[in-house]
Amino acid sequence: MAFGAILDHFERISVPPRSTSDADQKEQKDAQKSKESEEEEENGSNKFEWPEVKAAPGEHALQFSYSLWFSRRSPGNKTSSANYEQNIKIVGSFASVEQFWMLYSHLARPCDLTSSSDYHLFKLGIKPMWEDSANKKGGKWIVRLRKGLASRLWENLILAMLGEQFMVGDEICGAVVSIRFAEDIISIWNRTSSEHFITNKIRDTLKRVLNLPPNTILEYKTHTDSIKDNSSFRNTDVFMR
Amino acid sequence: MSVNATDVKASGSREIPSRRVLLKDASQLPSEYSTTPGGTMFSTTPGGTRIIYDRDFLLQVRESPLARTPPKNLPKIEGVTDVADSTTNGSIEQPKQNNNGKEGAIIEAEEPQFEMDI
Repeated sequence: MAFGAILDHFERISVPPRSTSDADQKEQKDAQKSKESEEEEENGSNKFEWPEVKAAPGEHALQFSYSLWFSRRSPGNKTSSANYEQNIKIVGSFASVEQFWMLYSHLARPCDLTSSSDYHLFKLGIKPMWEDSANKKGGKWIVRLRKGLASRLWENLILAMLGEQFMVGDEICGAVVSIRFAEDIISIWNRTSSEHFITNKIRDTLKRVLNLPPNTILEYKTHTDSIKDNSSFRNTDVFMR
Repeated sequence: MSVNATDVKASGSREIPSRRVLLKDASQLPSEYSTTPGGTMFSTTPGGTRIIYDRDFLLQVRESPLARTPPKNLPKIEGVTDVADSTTNGSIEQPKQNNNGKEGAIIEAEEPQFEMDI
């Protein structure tokens, strides 16, 4: 569909608001290259192939296509980057609002998942891994939830992401809901952890779409730090409004 | 260069693309002059093409017959894709309030989705 091709083009040339410095321009170039270079890196034994999706005529196309991933950690199994990648599987991919609901409505809700399970909803072309070229300079906002709230807040978060409510160019990479023993955690990942204008805007949108009370604690963690301590949710930077 | 009227090829007319943006909160107003409500940046996005959907619209699409069709090629994952067909359950039911005292997770389940910040 011609319309799809045009959107694809816009996606590549649309840029975050303040992108005039040389450093920013370099980063954008890197981001554009990310897909290719990643494929080169993986040209070895198991080349990863992204599924092809497009909005059918009559469907409501999304600004970006997405893949939904699922992972479940077996208890006591310390995660290394390699076995994390083996553990994580694409459940489905979509390019339109209709295709999203088809998939979403036929999956267990986060609250019904067993402990140590995660859903990761990421833009097509970005793996839900710290090391992915789209993520490596980025970070994530984390909201810890008491048990019982994850399904509803996850739905609100991903609807806001799919509907482009964050308004930060193509900074958003994806969102994760993590079901754990004593708490559930939702997070949203962005490309550039050093751009505080962008991370603040994401935080404010997050508070609005999740309808978080003013005293809610939000935490930010860069993926570089996550790689250093091999942990998603420890040693975060804590923010309170 | 002058153009003879008969040389000009008729081009199909098209509507100027536009869409309705419903603001629900003052914080949705843009902070930069180059941005319109809804977040389209005219300086960088030709024609203002970002596709924005609000939550109500997305939930409305959920009720369409197409959106209720089971997806093809769904992998079998125990406890994830083998659940009973949930398409008949509309939206997520509101969870019950139970204060089991977890800090940092005090979210009122009964609050409306959006509130005005006045």
